[in-house]
Amino acid sequence: MLKRWGMVIDQNKCVGCWTCAVACKSINNEPLGVHWNRVLTTRPDEDAPGKEPVAATAIDVPHGEFPDLELAYQPLACQHCTDAPCRRVCPVNATFRRDDGMVLIDFERCIGCRTCFAACPYGVRTFNWQRGQYGSDFEVGYGRDYRWNDRLVFTPERPVGVAEKCTGCVERIDNGQEPMCVAVCPAGARVFGDLGDPDSEISFTIKQQGGRQLLADLGTGPGVYYLPVSRPNKEHI
Amino acid sequence: MVERKKATASGGYIVMSVLAAIAMIGFGAWIYELVYGLAVTGMRNVISWGLYIFTFAYFVKLSAGGLIVASTAEVFGVSALKPLTRIGVLTAAICVAVAAMFIIPDMGRPDRLLNLLMHPNFRSPIVWDISIIALYLAMSVIEFGLLSAPPERQWRSLIKTLAILGLPAAFALHSITAWIFGVQISRPYWNSALMAPMFVVSAILCGSSLIALIAALLQRFAGFRFESSTWRALATMMAASLAVDLYFVFCEYVTVLWGVVPRDMIPYRMLMPNGKFGALTAIEWIVGGVGPFVLLVLPAARARVGYIVTSAILILAGVYAFQIGLTNVGEANPLIQLPPGTSLGTFTDGASVFQLVGQYAPTWVEYAILAGLVAFAVLVFMVVYRLLGVQMREPQSSLPAA
Repeated sequence: MLKRWGMVIDQNKCVGCWTCAVACKSINNEPLGVHWNRVLTTRPDEDAPGKEPVAATAIDVPHGEFPDLELAYQPLACQHCTDAPCRRVCPVNATFRRDDGMVLIDFERCIGCRTCFAACPYGVRTFNWQRGQYGSDFEVGYGRDYRWNDRLVFTPERPVGVAEKCTGCVERIDNGQEPMCVAVCPAGARVFGDLGDPDSEISFTIKQQGGRQLLADLGTGPGVYYLPVSRPNKEHI
Repeated sequence: MVERKKATASGGYIVMSVLAAIAMIGFGAWIYELVYGLAVTGMRNVISWGLYIFTFAYFVKLSAGGLIVASTAEVFGVSALKPLTRIGVLTAAICVAVAAMFIIPDMGRPDRLLNLLMHPNFRSPIVWDISIIALYLAMSVIEFGLLSAPPERQWRSLIKTLAILGLPAAFALHSITAWIFGVQISRPYWNSALMAPMFVVSAILCGSSLIALIAALLQRFAGFRFESSTWRALATMMAASLAVDLYFVFCEYVTVLWGVVPRDMIPYRMLMPNGKFGALTAIEWIVGGVGPFVLLVLPAARARVGYIVTSAILILAGVYAFQIGLTNVGEANPLIQLPPGTSLGTFTDGASVFQLVGQYAPTWVEYAILAGLVAFAVLVFMVVYRLLGVQMREPQSSLPAA
């Protein structure tokens, strides 16, 4: 079967430390106010989170009333959908999908119309409204352009007026490394691998533990799976 | 029929100079936006379409009236509407051109506009919309050109053909513009099959209202005199499309409010009287809905220009309110509404960079560009109208052979 990169996130292991989000910001030199990856506060029994939007009060605030409190985390970045709505609406094919499942943006083609912002059900895109502001006066992270098929899919300093989002650390995975959020997760909550290979760790985990996609009923076919905290055949370590 | 009085010219030049100045200010604001990026607008990652887009959709709708009035007159031989044919086609051309111009300041990279021609994605409603806008603009400009030729040299059969094609073109234009919103599975408030018919009807509604307003202005300032049958035809068109428009919106309300599905209800709560956008609903339903409808159908009020023009203005405000609500409410609530929400994409020292529910307020830059483009539209109308007026008075003047 064709290679299809994917990720599984175990919400039972996630401690909501934001290390993935911070590492993502660093490796990709994301400006202040831009988060490709973030950790949302949710409930353990959330059935396919987002099915019933719960506008909880704030980050890290548990649901319920003392002492019956509950809390879980849902890291969220681009889901690298098989049939990505953002790719369908992009008028200039700036958003495209590689055969290995990675949905990428060509920074040199995007016209900045933001129809993809309206289309993405996961709200994971972010726009370069202005020249990026940084906390430090030096560049951090990968630090150079990355092209795939001559298309600029990563550049440390993004042009003003184009859309961007998680690239799945395409420059790393093409060189046999894991995406940064997977590599740094201190809880080991993330597994990256080939969904096309039924014997891979990721495929096995999803099958064995009941991995769920976000807003699966929309039929976008995300490449990211979640293992909810409350799940029938949870394996305790 | 139309009977012209002597128009006063001097006042017009003052108005035109003021309009040109406003248009230049708008152009300056756009340059400012180009230099500093779209961060100078109120748009951010959550509500990433604002004033430009809802005004774009509004101008697309305004362009309908003209062509539909003109085509109805030609195709169905509604003689009462005939005097409005040329004004209608001219309004259509200008409104659709200005609608397209509203897209430019909304684009992050207007310098890459040609990518739309070089790398089009035919699955994207944006590409459909740009195609139909170009076609519609070309059709209305050609039709206007043909109608402006002296009567003895008019190419009647082509005018008739264009008028017939104008109706499906108008339907396509409004349906496709509606689908930019309506097909988005990520926006429950937009994702409705009713969106396209609703846009078509509301386009006829505010388009005919705009024509009524222009006709009244011409009657007041340019010495035109339209017969009461023309006014009655316009009033009928407005009242009928207003009724159908409100009915469609009402159907949406019933479907959602009866279902009480959370993801559908969240945007609707914003539109309820106690919601954040309750005022817009009131403007849409009362100020621009029931109010003008009563004015238009009351036997005492029918065919009285004052009532019709008042209704037209109220309707134009109501449809604009609907358009603001549609864009803002649709985008304010992401499907995954968990704290801390979505990052803004910009940074202000001391303020949160996350938003759970989208906030949007236009900035002076957006208002300046809005005023500039509206002034530009009126200015173009006045200039073309004046050139055309000269031509009308002297039909036998030496025109280059067409």
